[in-house]
Amino acid sequence: MVEVFAAIFERPNFLTFVIIFLWGFYIMVTRYNLVKKLVGMYLVQTSVIFFLVSISAKKGATVPILLSPTASVQAIDYVNPLPHVMTLTAIVVGVATLGVALALCSAIYRTYGSLDEEEILKKLE
Amino acid sequence: MSRHLPALLFLVPLFAAISMPIVCLRHRAWSRSIALSVLCSMVVFSIMNLVNIFQYGEIRYAFSGWPPPLGIEWVADGLASVVLVALSLLGLVTLIFAGSTSPKDLGGRIVHYYTLILLLISALTGIVFAGDLFNLFVFLEVAALASYALVGVAGGKALMAAFRYLILGTLGASLYLLGVSYFYAATGTLNMADMAEQLPHLLTSKAVLGGLLFMFLGLGIKMALVPFHAWLPDAYTHAPDSVSPILAALVTKVALLGWVRVMFWVLGIKVAVDDTPVLLLVGLLGSLAAVIGAVLALTQQDLKRMFAYGGISHIGIILIGVSQGNQTGFVGGVFYLLNDAVMQASLFFIAGVAISLYGVYTIEDVGRIAKQSPLLTSALVIAAMGMIGLPPTGGFFGKWYIILGALEANNYVAVGAVLLSTMLTLAYFVRIFERVFRHAPTLPDARPIEIPIQMKLSVGFTSMAIIVLGLLSDPIVGLLIDHTLPPGL
Repeated sequence: MVEVFAAIFERPNFLTFVIIFLWGFYIMVTRYNLVKKLVGMYLVQTSVIFFLVSISAKKGATVPILLSPTASVQAIDYVNPLPHVMTLTAIVVGVATLGVALALCSAIYRTYGSLDEEEILKKLE
Repeated sequence: MSRHLPALLFLVPLFAAISMPIVCLRHRAWSRSIALSVLCSMVVFSIMNLVNIFQYGEIRYAFSGWPPPLGIEWVADGLASVVLVALSLLGLVTLIFAGSTSPKDLGGRIVHYYTLILLLISALTGIVFAGDLFNLFVFLEVAALASYALVGVAGGKALMAAFRYLILGTLGASLYLLGVSYFYAATGTLNMADMAEQLPHLLTSKAVLGGLLFMFLGLGIKMALVPFHAWLPDAYTHAPDSVSPILAALVTKVALLGWVRVMFWVLGIKVAVDDTPVLLLVGLLGSLAAVIGAVLALTQQDLKRMFAYGGISHIGIILIGVSQGNQTGFVGGVFYLLNDAVMQASLFFIAGVAISLYGVYTIEDVGRIAKQSPLLTSALVIAAMGMIGLPPTGGFFGKWYIILGALEANNYVAVGAVLLSTMLTLAYFVRIFERVFRHAPTLPDARPIEIPIQMKLSVGFTSMAIIVLGLLSDPIVGLLIDHTLPPGL
């Protein structure tokens, strides 16, 4: 039991990821306000992006631009750029999703005059 | 030229979708002709591509000339090309259908509709062709965003359904991305072919098992596999009549295709990841989905909702087919996927006609159609025969090969599930036919309504396709066995 906890605290980034992910998921499930649901959704997306960034961190390395044009390239000196590019794309996807979601929210508000899920469901019947 | 067809098939609808809001700013009526001509050219291109690939083998297209492990790769193999032909044909037929219903049931938002449809089709093309896991994620999300917007495009009741679809779909996409990042952490690559070479040494890794689980959860939500299907019935029921056929026919099936890619092209087959028999578990979940979906369909009153649950149960049957781990089952699954796409399109076309012309929403009222339109009734009979799986239709042969594959794998649970879901499908179509043939129509004096030519064309085409797929099942299955099997099966 103790080893399990020790192993978890050795990797605080994973722990942080799990906490943010579950926190977002909890908000998504328990809140009735649609915008609050979106906040939870965005936390879930952000936690995955955080996970991607944290597994690609590298101590003592620099941006992937050649330090000198003549010296031979040492991979250990540079950060792998691919996870960061993926992260950027994932952020763009997240922003687009949020945009569509907020547009839907505003349309729902204009139609039903409320953002509370229970009230809207009452009006739907 | 033919080498660039896979890229062209994706870029043509994408650029048309991007430029449409600008071009059609002044001339809204142009949007329909632009969309139709794009889809027509896609049909031609996709058939050329299919012939080319059946003749000369698969094409691996590296974008901007960057070689695969680093660059972005398009894999145009037999499976992708076959699905693409179905995709572009069904897209075209949906657009033809939309000509008769669209301005009314979309609330006048024609340009929005055609832009989103083209965006959806280009993203689905991307999912079919994607050669690496991250691009699969991006296209899944583009397709999903287009579908959320399409469901909600007309406003009203559909808005809430679209919002729920969005929340669940985004959760699915996040889980899929999490799975991809586990795989990336384990292998250091995203390219499917490259990953497939590295994974056999890593199969005991917990990261691979976890990543696979998250990917399956994510794609399971996208393909509406049974425990995660909650978003689908509402979204398909409330979506405008010119939207639900294309969603029902294509979106969930293409997500399933993404899972097939991960399962067979990345992981390889006959695989037990950390002693977990993946194929067997997927097959079991498929059996569950096939039965539960059909049971839920049996309890519905709303016509569109019943067809939506029917689609959920058929996703399960396709999964049973592809997860038997032998050639017969896999080909049966792929063949059934094509059939199911056509049948779902046909059912939702029929529901669309019934709703927009006759005001028939529930099974109670279906009797009215029989009196007024023999054409629609015969189309419904053909689609029902396909869904149940009676001999001259493609549905029968798909189920036949799936059952043969399950027997070959000694998987009697799967055989039982397919048979049981067939019985249940029969039961819920009997409920419809009871209304159609036995009950007197409720409005006897209603004058016959002329069905617009576009509706006749689209319903007729899909009904023909259900029969033709059945009659030509032998040569088609032969071609599928020759060209679509994953490596090593």
